[in-house]
Parts: sequence; C-alpha cells; structure tokens
Amino acid sequence: MIRPIAILLSCLALTSCGVQQPPNEIVVQRFFGTCNAQYGTRTDVAAAEGECGIMTTLINKFSAENPDVRVRVSPVAWPGYNQLAAQLAAGDPPDLVTMHLSSIPDYQSRALIEPLGKDLRAVGVDPQGFTAASSAGVNIQGDVFGLPIDNWAPLWHINMNYFRQAGLVKDGKPILPRSPEELLEHARRFKAATGKPYLVQTLAIERASYARNLYTLLMQQNATIFPDPQHIHLQSPEAKRVVDLFRQIYVEDLTTKNLDYAASTNAFINGAGGVFIVGTWLIGDFEAESRRADRPLSNGYTVRPFPQLYAARDATYIDGHAWVMPAKERTPQQRDAVFRLLKFFADNDFEWSRTGHLPAYQAVIDSERFNALPHRREIAKLSATGMTLPASVQRQFPVADIVGEEMSAAITGHKTVDAALADAEHRINDLLFHVL
Amino acid sequence: MLYVAPFLCLYVILLVYPLFGGFWLSLHKADLFGGRRFVGFENFVRLSNDQVFLGAVGNTFYFILLTVPALAIIGLGLALALNRQTRTAAVLRGVFFSSSVLSVTIVTLLWKVVYAPEGGFVANLLEVFGRPPIPFLSSAELALPAIAITTIWWCIGLPMMLFLAALQQVPRELYEAAALDNAGRWKTLWNVTLPSIRRTFALVLIIEVVLQFQLFGQAYLMTQGGPNNASRPMVLFLFEVGFTRWDVGYAVAAGQILFGFIAIAAFAQYLVARRKEAF
Repeated sequence: MIRPIAILLSCLALTSCGVQQPPNEIVVQRFFGTCNAQYGTRTDVAAAEGECGIMTTLINKFSAENPDVRVRVSPVAWPGYNQLAAQLAAGDPPDLVTMHLSSIPDYQSRALIEPLGKDLRAVGVDPQGFTAASSAGVNIQGDVFGLPIDNWAPLWHINMNYFRQAGLVKDGKPILPRSPEELLEHARRFKAATGKPYLVQTLAIERASYARNLYTLLMQQNATIFPDPQHIHLQSPEAKRVVDLFRQIYVEDLTTKNLDYAASTNAFINGAGGVFIVGTWLIGDFEAESRRADRPLSNGYTVRPFPQLYAARDATYIDGHAWVMPAKERTPQQRDAVFRLLKFFADNDFEWSRTGHLPAYQAVIDSERFNALPHRREIAKLSATGMTLPASVQRQFPVADIVGEEMSAAITGHKTVDAALADAEHRINDLLFHVL
Repeated sequence: MLYVAPFLCLYVILLVYPLFGGFWLSLHKADLFGGRRFVGFENFVRLSNDQVFLGAVGNTFYFILLTVPALAIIGLGLALALNRQTRTAAVLRGVFFSSSVLSVTIVTLLWKVVYAPEGGFVANLLEVFGRPPIPFLSSAELALPAIAITTIWWCIGLPMMLFLAALQQVPRELYEAAALDNAGRWKTLWNVTLPSIRRTFALVLIIEVVLQFQLFGQAYLMTQGGPNNASRPMVLFLFEVGFTRWDVGYAVAAGQILFGFIAIAAFAQYLVARRKEAF
C-alpha cells in the first residue's frame, strides 16, 4: 500500500516542480521568426538583414559583450500571445517578451507586467525621448510599461513601372488619390492601362489588414471609433463609407482576390498589381527586389504612407513593438541583466529601424543616417500622423480579429455591409462587456 | 481494489475532477488569470444566442457528415482491396497509412499548396484545361469540404488498419462455405464479410465521430474559421474564446456542450451496435 502511494506522491511532486532558472539567466521570448541557420552565431548587426536577422544578431552581440549574462531566446510564432497567456496563467512567464503596443493595456490592467520607468531612467534610457506614438503606446496611468523598439503602420508599396504605364507619375513621384472617388478613378485608369488590378491585398485567411484599413480611414474622417473603452461604434456613416469603398473595389476587380499573406506578397513582387497595402516591415525586401534586373519591380519601387482620402485629418492607424517585463520573482542579477539588455536595444534602435519599421526614438528619426536609408524620408511623417487606438481600450487584438472577419465577409460579398457592421459592433461590444 | 487504486487515483485526478471542475467553471464569468464571478447558467444562455457559436455547431455536424461516412467507406474499401498476402498490398498498406504519421502542420501546408488559387496544384491543373482557379479556402461553400478532403486523406490510415485487422479475424470456413454455395463476390461481401466485421464498423464510427468532433488544427491553419464563419468548428470557437479573448468561463461552457454531443453520439452508436448484436 505504501509503495503505490509513495510513487503517486513522487509523481505529483515532480509535476509541481518548475525548471529552475540559473541566477544569471534571462529568458527572452520574441516573435519575428527563426533564422538560426543563417544568423545563429553572427554578431555583425550592420551586416544583418530583415527582422529575424537583425533581432538575432543584436541578441548575439549583447551576449558576446555581456559574458556574465546568459540569454535564453525562445522564439514564438507570431504574435505568441496564446503561449504567453498560458505561461502567465501557469506562473512561468519569460523575463522579457515582445509585445504590440496595442496589447500592453491587457497585461498592464491585470498587473501581469511590471512598470519600467524608474529602472529605465536608472540605466540611462529617457522615456521623454520616445516618439509621440511610441510614448502613447507604453505610457499608462503615469508609468512606462514597455521599452518601445519601433512603430509600424500600413503603407502603400508602389510598383512605379506600372504607375508610369498608367500615367500616374509626375516629377518622378507617384500620383496618389486624395478622395475615395479619385481612388476609384485611378484604379480604373490603372486597370485599363496595365490590365492589372490597382491594389494587391491580402483578402484570404487574414483579419488584421482589414482592421488597419478601417481604423485608418475612420481616423481620417475624425470618426469616434470607441465612444468609451467598453463600446465600439461601427454602425456609422463613416464606417459604411469605408467598407462600401473596399466592396466597390472588389466588385470591379480592381484588387487581387483570394490571396493569403504569403501569396499576396509574392504576387506584388511578381507584378500582379500596382499598390500593395501592407506594413513597414517589407520595405527592405521590396527595395532589394527593385535592385534586381528584369523583374517587375526593377528600378520601380517606392513607398508612401496611406494617402489622405478624407479631408478631416491626415492620419494613419499605427501600432508598434515593445519589450515588456512580465511580473515574476527575479534574482538581482537577472533584473540587472534585463535592464542592461533593454538599454542595449534602446542604444541600437537605428539598427532595428533598418527592418523598415519606424524608430521609437525621435532622435533616431531626425538623424541623418536614418533619413539616408531608402524611402525613410517619405514615411517619416508617420511619427506625427500615426494614431493608436486609445490605451484604455482592452483586448485590441481580438477586437481587430472580429473587425477583420466581418469586414472580410462584407467586402467579399458573404454579407451585406450593414449586416457586417452591425454584427461586428455587437460581437465586439459583447466581448468588451465581458472583460473582467 | 488495492490493485487498481493507483490507476483509480490518477483517473480521478486527471479526468473526473477536471470534468466536474470544468462544469463548475462554466457557471462562472472567469478570465485566464484567476478573476472569477459566479453567474449561474448565463454562459449557456449566451451561447444559445451566439450566432458564431451556433454556426460553429452547425459546421461541426456538417464536417462529421462529410468525413465520418467517407472515412468508414473508403477505409473499408481500402482494407478489402489490400487484405491479401502480396508484396504490392503490403507496400500500398504502408503508403495509405503513411499520411497518418504526419503532423497537422505538415498536412495543412501540403494541402494549402494543393488548393492555392495562385500556382497551386489544382489551379495549375485547371489552367491546362483553360479553366479559372477555384478559391477553395476563401469560398464559404468550399472551405469546409476542402478541409474535409484534407482530413480524410490524413486520417484514412486508422480506419483502414482497423478494418484490415477485423477482416483477418473472419473465419476462412465462412468463405469456403459461401464458395460451396456458389455465392458471388457481392453476396459474400454482403452476407459474410460485413456481418462479421459489424462490431469493428461500429467501433470505427464511434472513434471517428469522437475524433472529428474535435476538428481544430486543420481549420485553424487553413482558414482560421472563415470566410464568414463558414469553417469554424466548435473547438476553434472555444480556443479563440478561451485563449484569445480570455473569456474562460464562456469557453468552458462551450466545451461542456461539445462534451455532451460527443457523449451522446458515442452512447447512441454503442446502443445501436448492441441492439444489432442482440438480433
């Protein structure tokens, strides 16, 4: 009798044990992909390309310069929040996590992440130096809850070769629409001249891009998206105008259809259309493609912020990435290591901005070397025109999921625009009402 | 009693306690991080009015209808065709079972390439015949059937093997007696083979209904439940509600309903199988 009970108790004891972390080890959990085959041991940050390459070499370099710290990197599939939620619920979170600015309120409101302001200042990182958009994303209730590393926004990536063919280039610059009517007119003219759709969009198995477009064009109309943190207002003439516009573009075949993210990215590279609406992170890839010979983008790529289609305000929905520190017990060594790593990232924000993202520091945006990077002058104004959703609105990721799902249904004709907006509003308000 | 005590303890801790704990949690408004408030049956009332959940229930039953009969019939057909002692049959048994060992990630990646409207296998095939591509995964009508085809390809190995095992248990004397009576192949199949493996048939149906009720990975990776909720199964719904929205009490309530459906289906088939056996 005693033996089986002893075995059972041993099993229970084993399952209740966590894996002990060495006192000088910090666990860094991030998205941005894995590229160990190419960058696993490299420390030459300036030679690295792309989000994954630059992130990996930055952490490698920090480890090489700080041999007393052991950094254990745990890459997660984008965005990694389900995994993080499970880790937090189990009481075993990492030491640092990449997080979208829009997600920080969810974790801050439950005291799952620690305020960083005082310790950041102590290691020489001044939160006053953050851009307005970055600062708005990490400042909650008077404290700083993350170290921002960038801002990103939906951009118009443009195939200038097709634009020239359609007569939409003046003085070497693309002619962009200034109203929804002009957008439709340009798109029709483009299609007549090139035989290609004006827009390349990710319309299949996608939610976030729909939400980014809607938020941007609602902000440009000065519409109130969230009258209060528990309610969204989507059954409005402004929202209907936006969805009707994208529906019209879809109906007239002025956009690519049925493409998921990977397919639409490849489609733009292979010359499937004129404008690819996607974020800052692909600038480097498209710029590299434009330098290749005999390709649809050869010497014919540029990028612009989302054009102002409504007169009320020049605005673009903006989000960003930050490092946050989950609340948990740490040794003094681990705490010191965390802030040394944060300081290292703050010092290397220019290197990170080579990904295409906008720097989180105004000084980097204003610097010569940032503005010398390809196309950065064209998009730098986003640091002033970029707008986040109110930080008081929780659950912004699942909210965007619902917006995207319902917008997709309306644009592709599975639902009427009115029904989709009503359903989106009802579902989101139900979600927000039930947030504890 | 003493002999089974260790197993019973683990069974109670790992299954019985979570079962009742789950039901108790479904009566609460609870989030993932410990916040909890008793709300009685409010979560179940919410579910009964939630069009997304009701759509997910409909999708789940439709998916079972698409996959379970096909898995049983194709599995049986393959087993009948490959139930022979030849090298070719042995190789083909391995080939048909091999898809079952792949992970859902690999399977869905493969089939996304097959279905892709731009340069996918089917799209290229259609192009040869001058036909436009079919948007399998972004069509409300085709998304779930496309996932069903993927699932049948992935899961066909298990029913085939179960049927093969059953066929090899059928006494040879029965076939010899049928041959002496000049019974044809169809008559032998209908009057000898199928009655002899009816228990296995019921087992395959029960296993497959239980498995297909739990559709998740394929829908999550291939369509994310879209378009317009057309391919969202119940498990994906409760995953999204629990892990993405953190509305854990609501997700667990949906889980209770899923558990009820699976229990009813399994019990109904068990009863039917028993009744047939009695005849």
